[in-house]
Amino acid sequence: MKRYVLERIIRSLFSIFCVVTIAMFLVYSQIDRNNVFKEDQAVLKLKGQPDAYLNYRYSVWETLGYLDYMTQRDACTLEYDVNSKEFTSCLEIGSPEAAALGEQYKAKGYSVEPTPESGALWFTRDYTLVERIVRFYSGLINIDNPYAVQDANNPDLERKIYFGNDLAGKPALKCSGCEHKYLIYFNSDFPFIHQNIVTFDLGTSYPAYKNQAVTDVMSLRQGSAVKETVTFETGLTLDTSILDHTCTYKEVLDQLDSNKFVDNYANCLTNMAEDSMMSVSIKMGLMAVAIGYGLGIPVGMLMARRKGKLADKLGQAYIVIMISIPSLAYISFFRYLGTQYMGLPGKYPELGGADWRSWVLPVISLALPQIAGLMMWTRRYMVDQSSSDYVKFARAKGLSESEIFSRHILKNAIIPIAQGIPGSIIGCINGAIITESLYAVSGMGKLLPNSIKGFNNSMVIALTFFFTFLSVFSLLLGDLLVTVIDPRISLATSKKGGRK
Amino acid sequence: MEEKNIVLSAKDVVVKFHVRDRVLTAIRKVSLDLYDGETLAIVGESGSGKSVFTKTFTGMLESNGWVDNGEIMFEGKNLLENKKNRDWEKVRGAKIATIFQDPMSSLNPIKTIGSQITEVVMKHQGKTKAEAKEIAIDMMDRVGIPNAADRFDEYPFQYSGGMRQRIVIAIALACRPKILICDEPTTALDVTIQAQILKLIKDLQKEYGFTTVFITHDLGVVANMADRVAVMYGGQIIEYGTVEDIFYNPKHPYTWALLSSLPQIGVKGEELYSIAGTPPSLFNEIKGDAFAPRNPHAMKIDFEEEPPFFQISPTHYAKTWLLDPRAPKIEPPHEIKVLHQRMVEMTSKGGAFYVE
Ligand SMILES: Nc1ncnc2c1ncn2[C@@H]1O[C@H](COP(=O)(O)OP(=O)(O)OP(=O)(O)O)[C@@H](O)[C@H]1O
Ligand SMILES: [Mg+2]
Repeated sequence: MKRYVLERIIRSLFSIFCVVTIAMFLVYSQIDRNNVFKEDQAVLKLKGQPDAYLNYRYSVWETLGYLDYMTQRDACTLEYDVNSKEFTSCLEIGSPEAAALGEQYKAKGYSVEPTPESGALWFTRDYTLVERIVRFYSGLINIDNPYAVQDANNPDLERKIYFGNDLAGKPALKCSGCEHKYLIYFNSDFPFIHQNIVTFDLGTSYPAYKNQAVTDVMSLRQGSAVKETVTFETGLTLDTSILDHTCTYKEVLDQLDSNKFVDNYANCLTNMAEDSMMSVSIKMGLMAVAIGYGLGIPVGMLMARRKGKLADKLGQAYIVIMISIPSLAYISFFRYLGTQYMGLPGKYPELGGADWRSWVLPVISLALPQIAGLMMWTRRYMVDQSSSDYVKFARAKGLSESEIFSRHILKNAIIPIAQGIPGSIIGCINGAIITESLYAVSGMGKLLPNSIKGFNNSMVIALTFFFTFLSVFSLLLGDLLVTVIDPRISLATSKKGGRK
Repeated sequence: MEEKNIVLSAKDVVVKFHVRDRVLTAIRKVSLDLYDGETLAIVGESGSGKSVFTKTFTGMLESNGWVDNGEIMFEGKNLLENKKNRDWEKVRGAKIATIFQDPMSSLNPIKTIGSQITEVVMKHQGKTKAEAKEIAIDMMDRVGIPNAADRFDEYPFQYSGGMRQRIVIAIALACRPKILICDEPTTALDVTIQAQILKLIKDLQKEYGFTTVFITHDLGVVANMADRVAVMYGGQIIEYGTVEDIFYNPKHPYTWALLSSLPQIGVKGEELYSIAGTPPSLFNEIKGDAFAPRNPHAMKIDFEEEPPFFQISPTHYAKTWLLDPRAPKIEPPHEIKVLHQRMVEMTSKGGAFYVE
C-alpha cells in the first residue's frame, strides 16, 4: 500500500512537472514578451522617458522571471561595499570600475549597454528554460521559521515561537523572527484553523492584479474594505480593516505603524467584504456537487429499477436535454425563470455573497448538468450489474428484487462512481467559467482565460501548475477511495490477487 | 425406479419469447416427471431448450419470455400459478436450487463468501446471523473448503475457480432443496476439478437425497452422474429413458446423431461425425418431426405429422415414426453399435471419465 501510494505520487509529480515544463516552454518562448505590456497603462506614460521606459520594462520582465536585470547601481552594490570609495566611483558614468564590471558581466553572458539618455550601464541576461524551471520549483514552497527574517537594521530581533493570543483574544501560535507573526490561528472561516507556516509562491501576477502574489489573487478576500473596532497591542483602539493574522515583517516602520504595532510585523492585509475567488468557487461548487450527487445517484438508481418504465423515460429525456443543449442556453433559461418569476438576483454582486439568494441560481446552473451526468452513469452501472451472473444467481437463491438491488447491485455500481467523487469535490476549486461569467460571480473560473487573454504569463503558468496538481491528485485520491470500498483492489503487492 | 415418488411433474409446457415483434416458441409441449432422489441428465444441441425448460421450474425466464401453456406440479401445487415474485422466492433456493454455467461469475465479487451463504439461510430459514454463520461454516466444510471458519470472511477473488464452484454448491444446498438444477456446472472448469465437483455433487446427493437435473454436453458426465437421460431437440424431449436405454439402445435418429457426434465417442484419427443441416427455426410452426429435414432416414410421414411417444420399455420412450409397426426396420449407425464398448472403456477404472 505505502509503496504503491509512493509510486503513484512520484508518477503524479512527474506528470505535473512535464505539463508545467511544456506550458513554460510555450508561454515563455512562443509568446512575444512585449505582449505583457499590452494591458498595462503605466508603461505608456513612460514612453517619453527612454531610461525610465527601459528600466520599467526590464524590471517587469525580471519579476516575471524572463531575465536577470541590473542597473549600474545594482551591479556596483553587488560588487563593492556601499561605503567604499570604489563604490562611489563605480556609480559614475564611464568610470573604470563601471567599465570593468561591464567586461566582467559580458564574460558571464550578460548583455551590457549604456542607457539611451544617461549612458549608465544596464545589464541583462535571459534565463534559459532550465533555469526558469529550477527557479519556479526552488521558490515554490516556503517554510517559515524564526530565522527567516534577516534585517541588518534590527540585529536584536528576538527569535522564538510562542503561544499567545490574537487581537480578538483567540489563542494562536506566534513567532518572532519568522516572516509571519501568526503561524497557526483560528477564525470563523472554513476550515477554522489556519496556518502560515508553509506557504506557496507561484509567482507574481502582472499586469492584472499588478504585483500581487498569484496565490494571494486566488485566496484573498475581495471587494471593498470592511472595518471593525480593534484594540492593538499598543493599546490603541481603532476602526480598522487590518487583518492581524496576515501581518508580515516590515523593515522600515512609519509613525502610523509604530502607533499600532509593538513590533515590526506591520505589513498586513486588509479585510474585504467578499469571499476570495477560490472560496466563492469552492462554496458554489460544493453546493452543486452535493445537490448533484444527492439527486443524481438516487434518481439514477430509481431509473435503473424502473428500466423502460415512465420514470426511466422521463429521466432519459432529461439527460438527453442536458447533454445536447449547450450549457449557455439552459443556464440562461433558468436565469430567466429565476429572475422573472422568483425574484432571484440575476447577478451575484447585486446582493453580494452574504445573501443566500445570490447563490441560488448559480448553484442550480452548476448542479443541473451534474445531476444529469450522475443519473446517466448511476443508471448505466446499475443496469450493467443487473445483467451480471451473480445477480442471476442471487435471484436463483430466492432473494427478492429489492434485496438483490440493495445488497448486491448497489455497491458494485457505486464503486466506479465513488472513484470520481474526489475529482468532483476538488474540481470545484477550478471554478466554472460559463456560470460564473453569466452571473458575474468573481470566482476562479475566469482567471485562466483572462490571464491568457491578458498575457498574465506567470498566472498562466501558476494556474497550469495548480490545476494539474489538483486533477492529478484527485485521480490518486479517487483510486485510494476505491481501494477502501472494493476488497478486490488491495494496493499491497500481495500474493493473492490484488494489483501488481 | 418405478417405485419412486414423483417430486415434480411438468405437463405440456409451452414457452414463448417475444423477440422484437415476433414470437419464438422455445419449448413445445414438453412433459417430464422427476423422481425423488434421481439424477436426470438433459442433453441436446445448443439452443434445443434445455436451459429454458428448467428455468420454468423456478420462474426464472427472462422478462421477454412466458409460459404459454402447461402445468408444473410440485408439492401438490401448480408452480405456474405463482403469479407474484414473492411466491417464487419461496421456491427458489429453498425448494429448487439452480447452479449456472459459469461458477466464476456467480458470486458477487465484493461481498464476503460467508455473507453470500448466510443471506440465503437467513432468508429461507429465518435464522439469526449467528445461527446462519454456523450453518454456513458447516456447509463450507461439507463442500470441502479447508479452514472454513477462517475463510468465511474472505472474498471470491481469494478463492480458486474450483473452490468458488464449491461455494456455489454450498449456497445452493444450504437450505436443503428438494431439487438441484445444474446448468452445465462444470463447463468452465478444467478436467480434474470437474471430476472433483461432480464427485462432490454425487456425495452430497447421497447424503441429502435431493433430485438432480443435470444439463450437460458431456457424455462422460451423463454416464457417471445420471440415472436417466432426456434428449431434447427443437424445443421438445424426443427420447428419454435410463442411461442404459439411451446409450445402448437409442431409438430416435437424432439421438443416434447426437451420440455419434459427441467427441468422446470419436476414435483417435477418425473424423468426428457431425450432424448435417441446422436446427429448425423456432419462429415458424414446425410440422411433423422437427428432425426430419436433417434425418437421412426420414420418411414421408415425418414431414407431415408429429410422431407420438412410443414405449420401448417401461422406462424408455422415443418420439419417432421409426417405432411405428408399419415403419421399415432401420439399423442404427455403426458408432452406436460400438458405443457400449467405448463407454465401458471410458468409465471403468483408468478411463478418462472414471469417477469413484
Ligand atoms: N430471453 C430469450 N429471448 C429470446 N429467445 C430466447 C431467450 N432465451 C432463450 N431463447 C431461445 O430459446 C431457445 C432455447 O434456448 P436455451 O437457452 O434453452 O438453449 P440450451 O439448450 O440451453 O442451449 P445451450 O446448450 O447453448 O445452453 C434458443 O433458440 C434461444 O435462442
Ligand atoms: Mg443452456
